[in-house]
Amino acid sequence: MDMHRPAEIILTILFFGLIAGSYLAAQTPPPPVFEQPLLVTSAGQSSGDAQIALQLAKRAALAATLSKTGTGKDLENQKTLVLVLGASMKGLGSAGLDTNKEKERIRELVAEAKKKNIPILAMHLGGGQRRGELTDEIINEFLPAAKMAIILKSGNQDGLFTKICKAKDIPLIEVDKSLDAVEPLKKIFKR
Amino acid sequence: MKRAAAIGFVVWAAVLAVSCRPPKARLPGTPQDRHAPFNYIGAKGMVVAAHPLAAEAGLDMLKSGGNAVDAAVATAFALNAAEPFASGIGGGGFMVVYLAATKKVTVINFREKAPAAAAPAMFRDKGEKQAEWRQERGTAVGVPGMLAGWDYALVKYGTKSLAEAAARAIEIAETGFPVSPTFSQINKDEYEKLLKNAGEGTCYLNGGIPYEPGDVFKNPELAATLRRIVREGIDIFYKGDIAPKIVAAVRAKDGIMSLQDLAAYRPVEVEPLQGTYKGYTIYAPPPPATGGLHLLQLLNIAESWPLKDWGQNSPAYIHHLSEAMRFIFADKEHYDGDPDFVAMPLARLLAKEYATEIRDKIRADKAAGTYGYGKFDPVQDKKENTTHVGVIDKDGNIVALTQSINDFFGTGIVPEGTGFLLNDHMADFSTDPDSPNAPRPNRRPVSNMGPLIMVKDGRPFLTLGSPGGTRIFPSLGQILINIVDFGMSLDEAIEAPRFFSYSADGRVRDLSVEPRIPEPTLAALRTLGHKIALKEPYDKYFGGAQGIMILRDKKILLGGADSRRDGVGAGY
Repeated sequence: MDMHRPAEIILTILFFGLIAGSYLAAQTPPPPVFEQPLLVTSAGQSSGDAQIALQLAKRAALAATLSKTGTGKDLENQKTLVLVLGASMKGLGSAGLDTNKEKERIRELVAEAKKKNIPILAMHLGGGQRRGELTDEIINEFLPAAKMAIILKSGNQDGLFTKICKAKDIPLIEVDKSLDAVEPLKKIFKR
Repeated sequence: MKRAAAIGFVVWAAVLAVSCRPPKARLPGTPQDRHAPFNYIGAKGMVVAAHPLAAEAGLDMLKSGGNAVDAAVATAFALNAAEPFASGIGGGGFMVVYLAATKKVTVINFREKAPAAAAPAMFRDKGEKQAEWRQERGTAVGVPGMLAGWDYALVKYGTKSLAEAAARAIEIAETGFPVSPTFSQINKDEYEKLLKNAGEGTCYLNGGIPYEPGDVFKNPELAATLRRIVREGIDIFYKGDIAPKIVAAVRAKDGIMSLQDLAAYRPVEVEPLQGTYKGYTIYAPPPPATGGLHLLQLLNIAESWPLKDWGQNSPAYIHHLSEAMRFIFADKEHYDGDPDFVAMPLARLLAKEYATEIRDKIRADKAAGTYGYGKFDPVQDKKENTTHVGVIDKDGNIVALTQSINDFFGTGIVPEGTGFLLNDHMADFSTDPDSPNAPRPNRRPVSNMGPLIMVKDGRPFLTLGSPGGTRIFPSLGQILINIVDFGMSLDEAIEAPRFFSYSADGRVRDLSVEPRIPEPTLAALRTLGHKIALKEPYDKYFGGAQGIMILRDKKILLGGADSRRDGVGAGY
């Protein structure tokens, strides 16, 4: 490179600076919008994923409760509803639910949250392996109700989350690994 | 000078990075699309297993002069390190061995046993909590038979030492490897159990959270345990220092195992079960492994149906086979038990005449709806566990080995400092105290496993097996029919869409299908009275079969490994 052309150097720095800045802006969580305590529930009975969400919330020092088959009544005294999106046939079987019953439960929960003015944080922590026909139905139906979403990047390879979030103006935070969600969680909840 | 130092540092860093990298299997390429049918090729020997590092361990054993039994045990050990959620020294299994020199087939049964304190009503009495007591508490743990079985096989039919067979497993456990998406998903599915029983600090979690694909999984405690076992012999597990750790871990979770239970454990060698299908002879373990028994029933029933005319996975084909499965499950509930204690009418169940009786009850125009014998508690339909290994060596010896710790990650209980998971095979007992499969002292619970060797005109043609709990015999049946009746290649037969149905309590249950079966077919099945339950397109619910086919005219071995799990083949 010809080091005697300062204008070009400045332009190059500006160019890469702009790219880095946009990347950071996309990854920087918005200011705190959620309040504690929060109720964590699964949407699709991938109960391991819901348990992970609870652990992440605890590591972010949030007051969280897990109810895998929570209903509207469980929203009493809660200020945020965390919907962990992901279908598991095994989980549905263990919970004694079928697909329709599970969707009905979530619909009722979301409606109650709306009625109580409780914002919804959607999470998808299963990655690419937790995508499939039923999970996608759940994402398509319930993600639009969220105020924000935190997901594993590997679960968004086809851009489904990006597409829905863009269309509904939902801030989307993508993380590489589950544990990377702790920091954004700390920032989006009021203390 | 500075430049030279910088170059030196870069070279040193590169060398360090390469030398510290976790091992990757050195196997020849696998298909880019993991679901595309792909037959592994070998000329002298072949190993198929559910993890590349395990298949490689078996292949290296064959290349270093070991026979099929040596390679099977090396692969089995390696699976404990590389696929620890499905099998390991805290579990048990069944091995079918074909000895080329004598053309003899034999079976080694190293299934877990109930502790001496087991009682018929021990689970029923737990009421609504019985699932937890059968699967996640100390009462779920059967006395492990795995090490005793591997050791028996090596001593009687192998040529290598326990230390040689375990060497690669120790290396894998110590160095670690990047986990696959399959490992990660199963780890997430079983997270609650692992948190509860193994704790946040367990190596089976990554800093207290499930592993993501690509994270490196290491198990130095397992490596140390295996080192001690090979140095001091398996007695250290059954009678020595490890035994009290097992008992303490089981009892800390309200279990009933004693040191005497462990000390008394012995594997047994038995004659295989035998049956025929369209000119082929099939050898499989007898009960308490019931996969072979019910597979033979299914094939007997299907033998005189016009399967080719109906077409593979046509409405008629799926309807008739599903109905056959439901009748067989009624028998399963009624008769299955440990033959050391319970008389099972094996001759009648395996008779072609009995198959005709069942066939006559199956109507072409609708599902029967009720299936006879539902006398005992319903068959459970939930497990996706276990693992299968197949090996053929240069002399033509064959091993079909299915082994398990039952549910993925077993009970999630790890004896302190040992790194291995304890099984939950007591869950395979019935909760009904009157069932022939009720838990009783020293009995082996009924197993769904069915490793098999298939022979044509007196010469081995195929070895096959699968995990998948109750889906094992229906999946093996579909694969064999795909090969024999529909002329598919081995892996094409394995990857083809599967279905499963059963009866429980004499009543019809859902027909589970992979949605690759087209909607018009499913619509036709609905009109016949089947309630369809859609699974994933390649769902490990239906197992993860591995097989080896011998094509004598071409002088090659074909290995088939199921993409529903991480199966691979390794031939040379």
